[in-house]
Amino acid sequence: MTQKKAEKQDDSQEVVQINKWDGSQVKHAIDDAFKTALMERPNCKEHFAIIDGRLFICFLAVGIALFALGYDYIYTFPTSRPVLIICVTSYFFLMGVLTIYTTYIEKGIFAVAIQSDGSGKTIKKWTASSEMKKYDDKYTLTLSVKDSKNVRELSSTKSCANFIDVDGVVCNDLISAELKRLYNSLNNAEKKDK
Amino acid sequence: MSLLKSLGAESLFGDVSRMDKRQFFYQVLSFGMIVSSALMIWKGLMVVTGSESPIVVVLSGSMEPAFHRGDLLFLTNYPDEPVRVGEIVVFKVEGRDIPIVHRVIKLHEKSDGSVKFLTKGDNNSVDDRGLYAPGQLWLTKKDIVGRARGFLPYVGMITILMNEYPNFKFAILGILAIYVLLHRE
Repeated sequence: MTQKKAEKQDDSQEVVQINKWDGSQVKHAIDDAFKTALMERPNCKEHFAIIDGRLFICFLAVGIALFALGYDYIYTFPTSRPVLIICVTSYFFLMGVLTIYTTYIEKGIFAVAIQSDGSGKTIKKWTASSEMKKYDDKYTLTLSVKDSKNVRELSSTKSCANFIDVDGVVCNDLISAELKRLYNSLNNAEKKDK
Repeated sequence: MSLLKSLGAESLFGDVSRMDKRQFFYQVLSFGMIVSSALMIWKGLMVVTGSESPIVVVLSGSMEPAFHRGDLLFLTNYPDEPVRVGEIVVFKVEGRDIPIVHRVIKLHEKSDGSVKFLTKGDNNSVDDRGLYAPGQLWLTKKDIVGRARGFLPYVGMITILMNEYPNFKFAILGILAIYVLLHRE
């Protein structure tokens, strides 16, 4: 099997090649491609609040661990006992918080975009989340839109083979076609409701 | 051979090269969290057992046939449980880093609660006075790291191997670190 090198196409979108047999790499590659396609919708900007929340919890946990390490190094064991107790319990508490956060708040969301109406005012919030079971090939994309009135969402389950070719190259045009389909049908559903 | 290398390296660094700032920061934090979890478990054990080194490896054969070189020992050091003659303790001699695992054979206890111990390895023919610091004839409570409460045979051989061949230790840790840093979730 010849190895294709990553090339830069004329529209400056990098061709991404991955190991097609590695489930988690496939999911991440497709997620990234959908995220790029979503950000290409008119006036969409990426919103990082959810990711930043997770990063903050992790940062805090590592900070506590480093503090415990340093404190115990300076004031050796028996004197540092109370501080160590506080650090250890708060560290494991933060681990619990992190697990709850990723399970209930983050929930497979990989992209959040804020769409403005051209003048900077926010009108819609688009959220893309995905699911792909460990040894399964079915990739489920859920696109949801929230505006001032209501929340609507649409899912599509397809085999990941619809987006990756036989060499493991992610087909960006197929990805943006799929995203456009979901995006347009959500927009049209909204127009119908109006 | 070079094709294999480029195949492996491509996918190894490919993931990382495509990451944006936040994803890369999360990779570093994930690595930090694995190290921190191990650290916190160790500190937690220290707090729970009351000993500054709750798990030690037997380094010599001076306690055979009870403990052999490479056995893992679990220690506790509760202040309200006095050490008695016949118990196996782990102690550190002042000025030396290496803990020694031997049995208490003599004990003097004063009315104010202070104690002096004399230790000897089961497999040694003389007591440990030769191992203590010059001029020291007895051990005190502050030299004791903990009392042995349980053990696992052979598991400590990995630690002995890693200390005798430090290159091996750095190689293993380096490979693990690179794997965690470069592999996405």
